[in-house]
Order: sequence, then structure tokens, then C-alpha cells
Amino acid sequence: MRAVGIKAKMVEGAAVIYPGPYLNQLRGEDIEDQCQQLLAKGVRRLVINFEETELINSIGISILLGVIEIVNDAQGMLCLSNLSDTNRELFEMLGLLSHVRVEETEEGALAQMQSRVI
Amino acid sequence: MSNSDPRQVLSRLPEDEFFDREAELAELYSLATAGARTPDPGEQARGGQATEAMRGRRARNALVLGAPRVGKTELLRKTFDRLFGEGAQVVPFYYGLSEYSLDAERFARDYLSQFLAQLIAFRRDDARLIAAADEPLAAVSRAAAPEDYLWVRGVVDSFNRALQSGDIALLVRCALRAPAVAASRAQIQPFVMIDNFHLLSSGGQAIGGSTASRVNEIASLVELRAEFMRALSARDSLGGSGAGIETAPAYALCGLRRPMVELIPPDKELFDRLEMIRVEPMAPDTLERLIRLTAARLRVPITDSTTELMIQQLNHDLFYLRALLDHAASRRLSLKTFMEFERVYTEEVLGGRISHYLGAVLRDIAPDSRSRRAALEALGLVIEASSAVPIDAVIERMGEFASEAEALLARLHSSELLEISYGFVSPPADPVLADYVRAKYRTEIAGARRPVAGEQLLGEKLKHSYRLMMSRYNRAAEAQLIELLSRFDFQNAPASLFDYSVFDSRYRAMSRVQIRRSLEEEQERVRLPQIVMVNDAGATDYPGVSWRLFAASGFEGGIYSEANEALWLIALINSKEPLDVETLNRIDQRLESAARGTRESAAGASRVARWYISKEGFSAVAGERLSALRAYRSTYAQLDLLYDHLLKLASDEADRRPASEFELIIPIEDEAELIAARTVEQIARAADFDQEAINQIKTALIEACINAAEHSDSPDRRIYQRFALGDDRLIITVSNKGKAFAANDDDADAAVATASKGRRGRGLQIIRALMDEVRFERTDDGTRLVMTKFLKRPEDKLAGNI
Repeated sequence: MRAVGIKAKMVEGAAVIYPGPYLNQLRGEDIEDQCQQLLAKGVRRLVINFEETELINSIGISILLGVIEIVNDAQGMLCLSNLSDTNRELFEMLGLLSHVRVEETEEGALAQMQSRVI
Repeated sequence: MSNSDPRQVLSRLPEDEFFDREAELAELYSLATAGARTPDPGEQARGGQATEAMRGRRARNALVLGAPRVGKTELLRKTFDRLFGEGAQVVPFYYGLSEYSLDAERFARDYLSQFLAQLIAFRRDDARLIAAADEPLAAVSRAAAPEDYLWVRGVVDSFNRALQSGDIALLVRCALRAPAVAASRAQIQPFVMIDNFHLLSSGGQAIGGSTASRVNEIASLVELRAEFMRALSARDSLGGSGAGIETAPAYALCGLRRPMVELIPPDKELFDRLEMIRVEPMAPDTLERLIRLTAARLRVPITDSTTELMIQQLNHDLFYLRALLDHAASRRLSLKTFMEFERVYTEEVLGGRISHYLGAVLRDIAPDSRSRRAALEALGLVIEASSAVPIDAVIERMGEFASEAEALLARLHSSELLEISYGFVSPPADPVLADYVRAKYRTEIAGARRPVAGEQLLGEKLKHSYRLMMSRYNRAAEAQLIELLSRFDFQNAPASLFDYSVFDSRYRAMSRVQIRRSLEEEQERVRLPQIVMVNDAGATDYPGVSWRLFAASGFEGGIYSEANEALWLIALINSKEPLDVETLNRIDQRLESAARGTRESAAGASRVARWYISKEGFSAVAGERLSALRAYRSTYAQLDLLYDHLLKLASDEADRRPASEFELIIPIEDEAELIAARTVEQIARAADFDQEAINQIKTALIEACINAAEHSDSPDRRIYQRFALGDDRLIITVSNKGKAFAANDDDADAAVATASKGRRGRGLQIIRALMDEVRFERTDDGTRLVMTKFLKRPEDKLAGNI
């Protein structure tokens, strides 16, 4: 069950990551790995698009908090997009939204990042 | 034949005087009809489903057990009448064993005659033919219906051949097999009811007659017992009829319960097919109805007080009650005052029907005057002692009769005139018998002369009646407390119900309704144990104050371990004034010794609580003392409120019973929780939850599954889920076996606080936020998380959660 296949793509120097339908420990750790690799390659702008993400569990959220820290430590920029109401409610409840930027759409998130200098 | 005609064939009581025995009647009826082919319309109307359920069971025979005179015989006779009246496939047969029929040959002839007469009467739908049993067998068989005549003649011929052969065992077998032959030949299902079955016990035989005749009697008894046991064990011995009817008849055996039970050999097969039907004494309210009805019919004036006195003093005994009322009716006496009642009672016990009946029972057990005197000595001793007496002391008291004393005591035990248990003899629970014995002892043994006018018993009973009625009130309070304790089941109860001073200062000016409402809002709670046993630790009676002590044992915290054993020592105090320190000291001494006794027997509970319940509350000093001791203290009013509270909790639980329920078991492995989420999604959608609520439920369930997987060492590596849909809610229960995650909500919160330092710990926070109600429960072998989502969540709840 390790190979969960997190999709990702590069858009004008920014990385867009798609956690898939269920953000749990497995996928969370894969996202964490990918982010570390991207940061190591010098990518500083990261978007996580939750459009396909129907369910998120608390372990996934904990790992996401770790990812936010890693990106911040690397002077990078992370933006979350396409959150469902329930996912947004969860993030808000667990205090994620005070640490990370959230945009309605992936495009909005990319545009937001392009406009900012890192 | 009519299906609904409630004809009185063998029964002695009219339908409107046959009270409170429907359950036992239904049990016997369903046993009788369990082997029959199809339920008849009458049966279906009365609940064919229940009978259908019985059809699959193994039990084919029953022991009908109950105290003497509780109404067992009438129950059998009513069962006979009901089956006879229906005239369906089940043929009832009632046979009452008697001393006369204990000779094997006499028994065989009588049993066969009775069976054939009752069968023929049933088949010809003519109850008058039952009386033909007294005719010679040839005459009985001539009355058979044309379709039965040949096989009935065959049975009679076989019997006559066995008789000529002189083989008594064959003769008895021939008679006992007649119902099975009838089943096979006539496509019917006989239901055989044997009354006075205890007479087959050799211990139940009175001493008398020559040695030779005694040997013959015992040989006959052994023969009869053996043949009966063979008949009870039989299964379709005739090879079945091919029509779906069991040819082995069903038996209901009835008689004195003590010797009856001893008659059944330790045969697993036999017990496997045996059902125990217990006939309990009537409940006081039913008895009250019966008394009112009978008194009105007999035109005997009674009052509420004398009715209650009758029930208490006559020990719920129907025979005694009828005797008293008949006595009053025959002399046109009123029973409106205690004096009037006790006068009639005294006359009955000293020389009326009750006296003659008890005299006959005693004569039956001890036929000659020497043994009767010894029996009276034994009874007199244990009744005066009013507690268990060593058997050796009783035998010594029985004097020169000692050589046969043990056998006599055994017969008194069988007839429930006293009780022998492990070398001790206890008095009977029958106060009327005790009065009879005392009076008899005074005149027959002590040689007291009867007064010229009046009776000593009358004065005794008058004094006693007042105390009896007073103690009735105490008994009601005691019964309520015992019932309350039996409902203790790990609930949380408002703490003020256990603290008189807090309760008094907080709720003094409030109405009961207001108090109830306020109690529900109380934050401070006492977590009750689960009580598994309540012991009576004795009662004490002083002028103006009386108390009874109880030791209630159980478990706390939902874990059945020695460390969680709990003991509640309870004093129920009835006094006219608030409890003072002096009385409290006395109670404490008794409570202490009760505690020692209970601790020894209960292997030492680690948590001991004391609970003082005083009708009129506590004096200030006594209250302070109890407060310092950290003892619980309540009044009867608080007891009532606690009872209401527990009832409400139980009824709330019952109200939450779901309309439909689904179960799912998933393995503990990666992403198995997704299967649970998909399942609950379908269920919630079908119940009209909106998408947002569905997502919340799914997320909460995923967290619950992860918790269950992470926090248990589940031996079976499984998570059990139940989804219960009610009218307005979905209740999800997630359970796992193994190490408990949290015993209660407080523990759960503590676990969250600890775990939140790591990656986990937010699970419960999420569950609580997304669901409307969340609670943890300990189960016998793990933990259960119960989450509720309401279909329309109140607005304030929504605002409060986030």
C-alpha cells in the first residue's frame, strides 16, 4: 500500500500537488517527501489542490502542519486551494488556516504566488 | 366442536376467579401444542407466532413447580379445559396420582381407564363421558367413537393379556404407552398432565402398614418411577406416523416441588427436553382484586386495611384467603375491623377449615399419634427459635421417636412444613402454619387448658396486626430501595441526591417538577456502581425508630476486576424525627459488623461507600458527622427522585431505539476505514442527511476507526460498527475488543491532551466538533464510542461546536 501515487505538476516554476481522494498518513507522508524534494530542487512556490480530496483524517492534517513548517523554514510559500466546506471547517477548527494561505481555485493560488516575491 | 367455548370441564374455579396465571397457562398451552401439525384458528388468534416459535424447541416435557396451595392443580385443570374446549389435534389428559393408585396394578388400571375415558370424551366432544372412567375397561372402550373403536379395543386387549401374564412391569408399560398408541393410530397429539407426581418419591410415603406391604409399596414405586422416566425419555418410539405428529406425548408433571426435583435422575437427555414452569405466589395487587371480587360475591364487608392485613397475615395463600372469606360469609360476619378479622382468623386456625386442613396434612405425614407428637415437637422448636436449628437438637427434642426422626423430618421438609439444609432445620415461611402449630403445641403437648372465653391467639394476633401493618410500610420502602439498587448500572446521578444538606438548601422551596428539572442540569454527578448482589444485613427496631441494613456489592468503572469491586453499605432508617447522633452511633456499630461479614464473604471490596437514608432527614450534628465521614446521606424523598432519574435514563435509552440498524465489521488495516465511510454515506443519504452533514459524519467515523485501531491491542484485529437510524438521528457505535481506550469521557479527554503532543490527538477533537453527541462506554472486553448526529441539528448546537 505504500505506492499511493501523489500527482504533481509544475506551472511556471510553481509546484501543484494533488493529494487525491483521501488525505491520510500514507498520502500525507508522500506529500511531505515530495515537498522536501521540491524544496531541495529550489522550488519555493507550492500549491496543494484539494479538489479531488473528499476526506481528510487527523493524521493527514498533522502531517500537513509539518509540511507548512518545512516550507516556511525553507523560506518557501504554500497555498491551499479548492477546499470543500467540510475540509475548510476541519482546517479552521484545527488552527491550520492561521498558518497557511487558502485560495478558492488553483489558478487563484498560482496567481497569488506569482504576485509575491520570495 | 367449538373453538372458543370456555367450558369448565375439570377446573374448579370460574374464569373470572382464575387470576394472574395467563403466562403459566400460555407456557403449558404452547408446550402442549408444540408437537402438533398446524395451529388451529383459535390458537392463531391467541398468538400463533409465539406457539410457532415454541415449535422448534427441544423441550417436550415440563415440571410445574410451586409452593403448596399456590394453584398448580387448578392451572393444570384450566389447561385441560382450554385444550378440551378447542377440540383440535391436542388431546389433554389429566391424571392426579393418589395414595390409592400407588400400587402398580391399581395404578395401571386406573391410569388406562382415565386416559381412555378422557380421550373418548374429547373425540366425541362430550365431557360427560369422562365419568365413564369408573366403569370396567370393556365398558369404557365400548363408548369409543367408531373410528377409534378398533385400536381402543386393541389397547384394552393388550392390557388384559399383560394382566393375565402377571408381569406388573409390562402392565404398567402398557398403560403408560396408551397415549403414544393413540397418537400413532388416531393422528392426535396427547398432552399428559400428571398431578401429585411427588407421590412417586418413596420419601413422601407415610410410615404405616405391615413390613410386607411396605416392601410391596416400595417395589411398586420403583417400578412406576422407572416406567415414567422411560415414558418421559421416549421419542417417537412407534416410528412416527408420517403425518408430522410426534408420537411420544408431551408430559407436564406437577406436585410438591422438593420431592419432585429429587425424582428426576441426572440424565442430560431428559433435562434437555425438560422445561421448568414456576408458579409464583400472586402479586399483592392481583390478590387484592381477587379478595375484593370474592368478598363482593360472598357479600362479606371488608375495608382497605383489612384487605391488606389479610394479604400480609395469610402470606398470599389462596386457600387460607378463601377459607377466611367463606367462614365470614357462612356466618354473615363482617371483616371491616382488625378485631373482626382476627376473630374469624382465630376460629379458622383453631377449629375451622384451615385447622382441619393442616391437621390432615400433618396426619398424612405422621399417621400415628406418636409420630404426630414428634412432628409437633420439631415444628414447635424451630418456630419458636424462628431461625435455623441444628438437626441434632431437633432430633433430641423429638424424644423417644428419635430412631425414625430423620425420616419424619424429611417428610416434613418435602411437604414444606419446615426446611432442612446442610444439617440445619429452618422454620416454615408460612405464618398461619406457625400459629396452628403454636396453638396445637400449647394444647396437645404443653397441656394448657383452653380459656373459658376468648383465645390467647386472638390477643397475640391483634398485637401483631398493628405491627404487621406498620412493617408493611417499611417493607415497601425496602422493596423500592432493592429495586433501585438493582438498577444501578454505571449511570451518573445528580450528586445532590446523595447529599441531604446540599439538596435541602438548594431545593427546599421548589416543587417536585422544578426539582426534577434542576437535577437534570446539575453538573456535579455521582457515578453509580453496577450492583450485582444485595444482602440483607439485618433489621433493628427501637421505640420510635427502626432501620434495616443492606450490603450491596458490585463493580465500579465498568471493569470487572478485583480492584474495581465496590461495596455499598446502606442503612434505611424509619423514624419520626430527624436522625440523631445517638441513633447514628448504634446504626454505625451494626453497619460495621455487617461490613466485616460482607467483606469476608465478598473477598474484600476495595471501594466501600456508606449511604444513610433517613425518612425524616438528619439532625445538624448527625449531618456534620456523616459529612466528615464522607458518607452519602439522603431522605426517602431523594430516594424517590433518584428512582425517577434512573427510570428516565432507562426510558430515554428505550426511546432512542432505532427504526433500522446496520452492522459492519472491518479489519484493522490501512484504509479499511474508507469502507466504513462509504457505508455510512449510503445510510446517511438514505436517511435524508444533507451533503455537509454526510461529510461530517464520514470524517468523524474515519477518526473513530483510527482511534479504535490505534488505541487497542485488539486480539481479533477488527473494528465493529453499528449504524442505527432513528426518526431524527443516526447513532454510530464503534467498538473494539482489547485494551480499553478510555473508560469515560474524562479519560478520553486526558488521552487527547497527552496524545496531542504528537501527530495524533486531534481525532477526538474532530469527532466532538462534527457530531452532536459523543460518549465513550466501557464494555466487558473493550471500548465503545457512541456518536450521534441529529437530522436537524439545533442552531445553538451548530454555533457551539465550532
